[in-house]
Amino acid sequence: MSSTITLPSYLEQTPEVAARFARLRERPVALEVKGLTKHFDTPRGRVTALNDVSFTVHKRELMCVIGPSGCGKSTLVRILAGLETASSGDVLVAGSPVSGPGPDRGMVFQGYTLFPWLSVKENVMFGPKMAGKSSYSAETEAREWISLVGLSRFENAYPHQLSGGMKQRVAIARALANQPRVLFMDEPFGALDAQTRCNMQSYLLEIWKNVDITIVFITHDLDEAVYLSDRILVLDANPGRVHEIVEVPVPRPRSESQLFDPSFMATRKHIDEIMHPPGQEQKDTPVMRLAVSDPDVV
Amino acid sequence: MARPGILRDWFLIRSDLPQSRALALTLISFLLPLALWCFVSYVPWIWHPDVKIEISAEREGVTTVFTAGDHVSKGFFPEFEKAVRDENAAVIAARTAGTPETGARRKNQKLLRQISPVAVANGWLDYRDTQNDAALYHIWRDLATGAKVSKEPKITAENLEIIRSNWTMLSALSADFEFKKLPEEPLLKLVPQGKPANPVYLPEPDDVLRTGIRDFTASAPEGELTMKQRYQASLRVILLGFFWACVIGIPLGILCGVFDFFSKLIEPFVDFFRYMPAPTFSTLLVAVLMAGEAPKIALVFIGTVFQMVLVISKTTRLLDPSLLEAAQTLGAKPRQLLKNVVIPGILPNLYNDLRILLGWAWTWLVIAELIGMKSGLTEFIETQGRFRNFDRVFPVIILIGVTGFVTDQFLSWLHGLLFPWAGKSGRLSRGIFSVITWPFRMIAEGARERIAATEATSSDRSRPH
Repeated sequence: MSSTITLPSYLEQTPEVAARFARLRERPVALEVKGLTKHFDTPRGRVTALNDVSFTVHKRELMCVIGPSGCGKSTLVRILAGLETASSGDVLVAGSPVSGPGPDRGMVFQGYTLFPWLSVKENVMFGPKMAGKSSYSAETEAREWISLVGLSRFENAYPHQLSGGMKQRVAIARALANQPRVLFMDEPFGALDAQTRCNMQSYLLEIWKNVDITIVFITHDLDEAVYLSDRILVLDANPGRVHEIVEVPVPRPRSESQLFDPSFMATRKHIDEIMHPPGQEQKDTPVMRLAVSDPDVV
Repeated sequence: MARPGILRDWFLIRSDLPQSRALALTLISFLLPLALWCFVSYVPWIWHPDVKIEISAEREGVTTVFTAGDHVSKGFFPEFEKAVRDENAAVIAARTAGTPETGARRKNQKLLRQISPVAVANGWLDYRDTQNDAALYHIWRDLATGAKVSKEPKITAENLEIIRSNWTMLSALSADFEFKKLPEEPLLKLVPQGKPANPVYLPEPDDVLRTGIRDFTASAPEGELTMKQRYQASLRVILLGFFWACVIGIPLGILCGVFDFFSKLIEPFVDFFRYMPAPTFSTLLVAVLMAGEAPKIALVFIGTVFQMVLVISKTTRLLDPSLLEAAQTLGAKPRQLLKNVVIPGILPNLYNDLRILLGWAWTWLVIAELIGMKSGLTEFIETQGRFRNFDRVFPVIILIGVTGFVTDQFLSWLHGLLFPWAGKSGRLSRGIFSVITWPFRMIAEGARERIAATEATSSDRSRPH
């Protein structure tokens, strides 16, 4: 059976989706990036990691940043979080420029960065306590965030006693406890197994629905990007610059059953083609020829 | 081909042995050297190039005096015996000729003391009481009459004969010791006795144990310290030296690890200074701080603190930088980062660093105790070593080793309790503590079982029939 499914264009939006994007564009801008450029000086000369990257993220938006490896997506998010400085360009959070890390921008890292000497509860209390809140109010808040990520039973456990997925849920709760304007997530599920990863994505959408938060999510996983985002920022590599900002035409609320919707597949295919232009893989991948090969396999 | 069972069971590449095997090997690692020591000491035909004298005698016209406990070479000992026998033969010859020497009372008094090592070895006499002539006189009597029999050393038949013959002469004059009533003519000397022995620097384990117990339980002679006091003095020096090193070294190390400013300002000089061996400062320290405890503490301090700064700054730099970044994105200010992330984060490794540095401090202690006025355990080792009393030196060396080892294993075990998130304690320390706590755990378990049993029976009784 060979039938070619004709996919619609990813640009086709149903009226509901189009209205949704119209409303989104009207919302205030939570994060604005203007002409962000980053050079690294290496012994072999200057390397441009990011070249004139500009985009805006609206309030309550979930934007994914995707791109081939080496496109500078991690550098981008680290600059946005204030962990690195840009060579030029501005980052504005709610209209005011920022420099250096601050509690207005939360971050969830790929590695598990929970403080191993603190219990789950104390980890979540860390931000509020740094902000000078009393132990009592910090603890009350922490309990709420922990129950939001569904780990109330483990509030006194230590990170080394938790699974990878649980650790990332604590990390999310810890970042949210600061009530940041923007939450950056740098491939947060990259180290998890496929099953956990899938659950965590649904989890994240659930949390995002219930909490007033803007999310910028870095990933290299196409399905993850399409499944989660309102819009996808596709970066080019060498130097990293914005290729396109794709509006995902898949209606919300999202569910795993949409993975095979024409709109989902069309968007996925479009981004895949941007990241892997047709005909390029063959050139890049060396083909090993075996002296003896099984005809059924080949 | 399958590996034979023993190889498969005991020799595993990079994987842990089961607990029972690990425990067995740990025990063997201690028992093996001990067994080797016992083997060399107690199997007579292994080595034993010397004779350890048990009964000694003075020789006429020879100034070299051997006392019981001295070692002489195997080759010389028969010569020594022969010399004494010849002297005895001369005495007997003179007696039979009817021309015995007279005026030998002083000599006879000394001769009677020949028996004292035997008396001490058998516990008939205290080792500090070897010139108690009255008591020794009765020991001669008892040995001659057979009321006392020496178990260790066994007195040879030849010497027993001499004892009886001497006692016949002595008892004819007096039943108790009285210098005026000692015979005028010379008595017979006991022929030297000895047993094969290893060189003096390798005393036998039981000797070491006995002298160790004796030295550590004895009250000190006038003006000297007991071993316990010496031990306390040594511990005091090392702990104070280490304490001051921590007071200075830990904050500096952390600052160097956190701020490049301090790292560049302090570390180059510290790095240079640590290559100057601490003992080279000993005379300077004594000149500045005077004799007494202070220069010793200062030496341990100097020996430790520079290493400490470098080691701790390195440990601080090894802290996972992503933890610092995470804390920064959570709004931590530099001071808060230091207090809430850096310090708690490095604590387990810092603790281990201190454990290792404490081990180094022990090395400096020995040198520290030799400078200025010698003190503590080292003075004892030094003094007794000069007298070649190695059976008294070994217990002290072993004590230092045991102290260091026990402290370290205890601290290692504590690490697991203090920092459960940073991994388990060292395997050996866990093993040791599980052995130590075994009886308590058994008691606790027994109690639990009894409670469970009584509860079960009481619920049986309360159950309606």
